[in-house]
Amino acid sequence: MSVETSVHPFDDEPIDEPVDESSQGLTTGAAGLTPGDGTSVTSLASGGAGWGHASAVLRWTFALSAAVVLYGAFLATKGADPVTALEAMWESAFGSTNNLGETLVRAAPILLASLAVVVPARAGLFNIGGEGQLLMGAIGAHGMAMALDGALPRPAALVLAGLGGAALGAAWAAIPVLLKLFTATSEAITSLLLNYIAALVLTWLVFEPWKDPASLGQAYSRELDTTTRLPVIWGERVHLGIVVALIAAVFVWLALRSTSWGFRLQVLGGNEEAARRAGFPVARLTIGAMLVGGALAGLGGFVELAGVEGRLRPEILGGYGYVAFLGSWLARHDPLKAVVASVMLGAIVVGGFGLKIATGLSGGAVDVLMALVLLAILGFAQPRGAR
Amino acid sequence: MLIESVLAGAVRGGTSMLYPVLGETIAERSGVINLGTEGCMLAGALAAYVVGIETGSVWLGALAGAAAGAALALVHAFMVLSRGSNQIATGLVITFLGLGTTALFGQSYVGQGVNAFAAVPVPGLSEVPFIGRVLFDHDPLTYLSLVAAVVTWFVVFRTRTGMKLRAAGERPEVLEAFGLSPVRIRYVAVVVGGSLAGLGGGQLSTAFTRNWSENMTVGRGFVAVALVIFAAWNPLKAIGGAYLFSGAIALQLELQARGSEISKYLLQAMPYVTVIVVLAVMSRRQLQRSPESLARVLG
Repeated sequence: MSVETSVHPFDDEPIDEPVDESSQGLTTGAAGLTPGDGTSVTSLASGGAGWGHASAVLRWTFALSAAVVLYGAFLATKGADPVTALEAMWESAFGSTNNLGETLVRAAPILLASLAVVVPARAGLFNIGGEGQLLMGAIGAHGMAMALDGALPRPAALVLAGLGGAALGAAWAAIPVLLKLFTATSEAITSLLLNYIAALVLTWLVFEPWKDPASLGQAYSRELDTTTRLPVIWGERVHLGIVVALIAAVFVWLALRSTSWGFRLQVLGGNEEAARRAGFPVARLTIGAMLVGGALAGLGGFVELAGVEGRLRPEILGGYGYVAFLGSWLARHDPLKAVVASVMLGAIVVGGFGLKIATGLSGGAVDVLMALVLLAILGFAQPRGAR
Repeated sequence: MLIESVLAGAVRGGTSMLYPVLGETIAERSGVINLGTEGCMLAGALAAYVVGIETGSVWLGALAGAAAGAALALVHAFMVLSRGSNQIATGLVITFLGLGTTALFGQSYVGQGVNAFAAVPVPGLSEVPFIGRVLFDHDPLTYLSLVAAVVTWFVVFRTRTGMKLRAAGERPEVLEAFGLSPVRIRYVAVVVGGSLAGLGGGQLSTAFTRNWSENMTVGRGFVAVALVIFAAWNPLKAIGGAYLFSGAIALQLELQARGSEISKYLLQAMPYVTVIVVLAVMSRRQLQRSPESLARVLG
């Protein structure tokens, strides 16, 4: 079920030491290597001896430090003082209550979109369409809010707007998974290409049918009324959406861990043939995993719209879907670790603002840090079988 | 002439697609998928642009583009082949790396005019009505890309090197039995693939748009990976794949210019929709045509 098997699962024999494990994962979907392996590998790596745990912590610390040091060197090539730059990033992400709040605000949609990678991954699916599903979620929530037009009390309006976002996110995720089942097209590729289409649909809506007549140079949509805005619960900006994201993470964790649905997904992700022989409804499970993922990302779009932006604009949520994909891999597709990963990535995003002010470097600078962290973790921090 | 404009536009715009499709074909033939192709293209686009400006030589620029793409692909190869990391996730990280690095280093070059590749009409042939404009009035990298497609096809299917490449992707154990290292072959294939992606990016910035802007490839590298499946891992069919996507772009531009009723934003989505639809229609058949081990695994 993993994408490699549908795109080009060339080798199914171990070749030699370094390629051995990855090639098994490519083809046989051996439990240790498909995206759905999170928990099993974690338990292997850290379970049993305390030594294994200690060495994992060491590996992580070393890999992360190496990434930061490399990044510092990279900033130095652009003429920035690495220490000042990194301090500015830290300050901007965690330096005050408000800054910490900003980090949490950024982490909320990232977490929801990470969960949108986690659930399909459990079933052996690659959802790289989080970006498009986030945008569709924002569009669905906005459409619902405009349709309600303040007619309902706030709790009901918020629930309906959230459902609107989740529904459109799920619908967008349905395209790649249905194409996979009916036409054997790789869901990784189609979900990725759908991101570009979603972005153009959003741009079209904002510039044409949904354009606020009051917007002149910069196009944006009409503003949500107060019944569909998420309340601020802490500080100036931290809104209820953070709680929504955390609850979603716990729900996903429980569902994957303790329900028969979660168990079936795990079996399916580990070995599709085994799932088939056990009589599991493989097609329904596959579709379900992707739809749940799309709905979670759609909820992420709603949270950003209703909690932060208040209106649609073409740049809303730009890049968060990709960041979230990295977050899920950082967390090895574990819903609770995804919380930590999302806060960390949210901090890097917010750190980027501080970096920009302190050094004048463009926003792209933080993409480099994210990439280095991921390279360090994927290639060096995790035990071999888990990469 | 709508058809003439669209076809000429398809060829002109398709060059920056053809190189990465060829490159990714080589990499995937060896058994490695590289979603970092998008990042390699960006790296190539910026390197070619900057070196073109700094040295005044577009050819040195193209070379630098290829080198930058190769360098980024080497990181992918190292991670995947020597560190055993997941190919899909690593590819996206490589794209992030390319996106971030080029955004940073390209910041000061945005909007600077480049000493660009000029069109070199083929004497005589370019005068032929219709065909002349479609095929024989392009920049040198475009002619070179068609040569590259034929050469790649020849190497992959008609030489010993190509046999080893395909064996690395299909039956690595056979290579091992002959004392050859599949890993080494894959390293070479991924790096060569990245250099072609970089060259494609270079063509984009120094011959096609003649400008650098952040994230200017807007998914072309990802589309290239999709088109490799469309082309069934065949370098000659890659030509059709590349021109299909660029033809869709040319068609929607032409429709925009002619004042179509449909919003330009929705027209811009058409090329991506085209690729998805074509893949959906062809995927199953393509997978059947693909190497034996592929069909075997898919059952």
